[in-house]
Amino acid sequence: MLRDARDYQILFLALFLGLGLLTRDWTLQLDAVAVAIATSLAVQYALSVGLSWRVLSSPGPEANAETRSPLWQTDFNWRSPLITALGLSLLLRVDHAETMALAAAIAIASKFFLRIDGKHYFNPANLGIIAALSFTHDAWVSPGQWGEEVWYALIFLGAGGIVLKRVGRWDTTGAFLLSYALLEALRNQYLGWTWDVWAHRLMSGSLLLFALFMVTDPRSIPNARPARLLWALSIAVLTFVLRNVFYVPTAVFWALFLLSPLTIALDRLWQAPRFTWGRRLPLSPTADAQ
Amino acid sequence: MIRLRSVLAGLMAAIAFLAFTQPAWAFCGFYVARADTSLYNQTSQVAIARNGDRTVLTMSNDYQGDAKDFALVVPVPTVITKDQVNVADPTIMARLDAFSAPRLVEYFDEDPCEWAFGYPAADGLSVQRLSLEEGGPPLRSSDSALGVTVEAAFSVGEYDILILSAEESSGLETWLRRNDYQIPSGAAEVLGAYIRQGMKFFVASVNLEEFDRSTFQKLRPLQISYESPRFMLPIRLGMVNARGPQELVVYLISPNGQTEITNYRTVEIPSNQELPLFIKDEFGDFFTTMFDRQYDQNGRSVAFLEYAWDMRGCDPCAADPLTAEELRKAGAVWIAPNASIWETNAFVTRLHVRYTRDKFPEDLTFQETNNRRFFQGRYVMNHPFTEGINCRVRMRQKYPDNAEYIDEMYDAETMEYIREYYRDYVTSTVPRRFERESQNLANLTGWDLDDIRHRISEEVPHPIPALWRRRYPPRPGR
Repeated sequence: MLRDARDYQILFLALFLGLGLLTRDWTLQLDAVAVAIATSLAVQYALSVGLSWRVLSSPGPEANAETRSPLWQTDFNWRSPLITALGLSLLLRVDHAETMALAAAIAIASKFFLRIDGKHYFNPANLGIIAALSFTHDAWVSPGQWGEEVWYALIFLGAGGIVLKRVGRWDTTGAFLLSYALLEALRNQYLGWTWDVWAHRLMSGSLLLFALFMVTDPRSIPNARPARLLWALSIAVLTFVLRNVFYVPTAVFWALFLLSPLTIALDRLWQAPRFTWGRRLPLSPTADAQ
Repeated sequence: MIRLRSVLAGLMAAIAFLAFTQPAWAFCGFYVARADTSLYNQTSQVAIARNGDRTVLTMSNDYQGDAKDFALVVPVPTVITKDQVNVADPTIMARLDAFSAPRLVEYFDEDPCEWAFGYPAADGLSVQRLSLEEGGPPLRSSDSALGVTVEAAFSVGEYDILILSAEESSGLETWLRRNDYQIPSGAAEVLGAYIRQGMKFFVASVNLEEFDRSTFQKLRPLQISYESPRFMLPIRLGMVNARGPQELVVYLISPNGQTEITNYRTVEIPSNQELPLFIKDEFGDFFTTMFDRQYDQNGRSVAFLEYAWDMRGCDPCAADPLTAEELRKAGAVWIAPNASIWETNAFVTRLHVRYTRDKFPEDLTFQETNNRRFFQGRYVMNHPFTEGINCRVRMRQKYPDNAEYIDEMYDAETMEYIREYYRDYVTSTVPRRFERESQNLANLTGWDLDDIRHRISEEVPHPIPALWRRRYPPRPGR
């Protein structure tokens, strides 16, 4: 058994990436994957060291004993940036590797700088995707490229299930998928399409990938279960509206991006212990600063 | 090492569709006969030029029946007025097709004797092209009740156009029937879905007087411009009553990069494959067989990418790139008139979709991307060099002015070198390539591998000694 649930995530994301590279997707490029991984790890390392050095060198009165524990006394957190990099590689397509580097750098940096009460509220990979789509003329997302075969859906579901069980956020995925499927079903019923149209709209690899690995990122979503359910429902509704009223092909990513700040409000409304990775021991804030 | 003198030569196009003869209802809309004529629409070609929300949709098809019997119904996202409808230049589709069609390229192996000379050998260039037939149809109008509103009625070229909106599908169906449009049964359900999405219906029929007066033998493509965030192509109507798979080629023109289908997987057709020389005379057959096979192997549920390239270039060119004027005719109106070739920012994506109701339940939706990776369907033939290495004799004939230097040039040492090279060429390079070509062709088409090998012996010129022929002797009686 692997020690850390994130190891399962890494394993499965890497598996999907391997599948894509080997059999399915000719728009995946190895150099972009390499750049994403290298950039994510490098930025994570640089910012962890840089920020902990700053804390150490200017120990203000607000710096308590925890924030002063230096990084090199803890393990370098390579899992989180690796997961972000794999997620970016799976979902984001670029023409030039520099764009991928930019996306990865913004994704990782957001964890350090876009924080409230020590918690980052944007999903890093999602923010990286939105940044690359908005700021460059070089990036896109290929929602159709995963195909729709049931086989795929099963692999995604099975793999995701394991991961989710490990990290205890299956409720979010369930709430998102169910509410989105329900909305699409209502639309389908209203339009009078047959049910295979509905199934085809849902059987998209990208949607499942998003539901299983992005919308569930336990670090950036609300802490309390009712808050998470409400949050997942909101994302489903917004995705549905963006896709069917505004015809945005990248609707899910925009929905998550736009609703991410809601996490803060929801956390205030529902107080709950924050999720931490690993062995459920109290973690030092440097590990928190991932 | 062998250097190939790349004499680019034969190109062929399009092919595919000449062989597709399944009778079928058609494309984004459906034809509605006024008489009980059997309707054939083999391949639909659609060009969509899109910049932002501004979309120009050009529809063409190879309808071969009587013009008076045709009508066309296409769901459109907005009301269309007269100045938004055009009759497109009938050559535009052919130009787009020829430019983007899968191509067969031939290379000639170099004459080893020429090395000593250092002259580039003379080039031969031949271009062969088959292209899609084309044309495009429709017919007539009337008053409303039944919740059907005629939003606009006008004539453009040889077409009479009606823009209808409706409240419910049964009303629309009844209206169409009363006005002599033969609606396939089962259409109501699909019409209803479009009505509830707020879509209008573009109904075109042929104005026979105009058509007779015109000099055109065939119906010209119809072109509609509109602004809408919806980037889609309705294919569901065309599948009502379909008797077989529908064939659709879409040319997507964008100022930025490749256009993708967002709700179906897209697969590149096999490309850059070396094939035996004899394929030149049966490239169409080869391509259709290969396409059928790819279609089956991919579960009949994918779209195929056949071409993606910036219009400012091509390598090799299957036809001249479209001029700014031609691109504007195809709807790329963001290009300035008389723009030079370097200013024509148009990226062309050619998608080939064979769709059936069971595998393509949803209309095609697209997105523009910034993907500027080029792709083309390219197939390569290599002509072996067959003239042997009697260099002195041949070079003297070829370069009589330099005759005095020839003996000197081809001294013993040089000849030894050439002989060694040639031995390798004959015993290894060529037979290996023949084998590779045979394997490729067999894999791509499912044709019998041994037959292909023997055909190479029979139909392809060989260098002497012809080791391949010894191994796969020509079969008598073929």
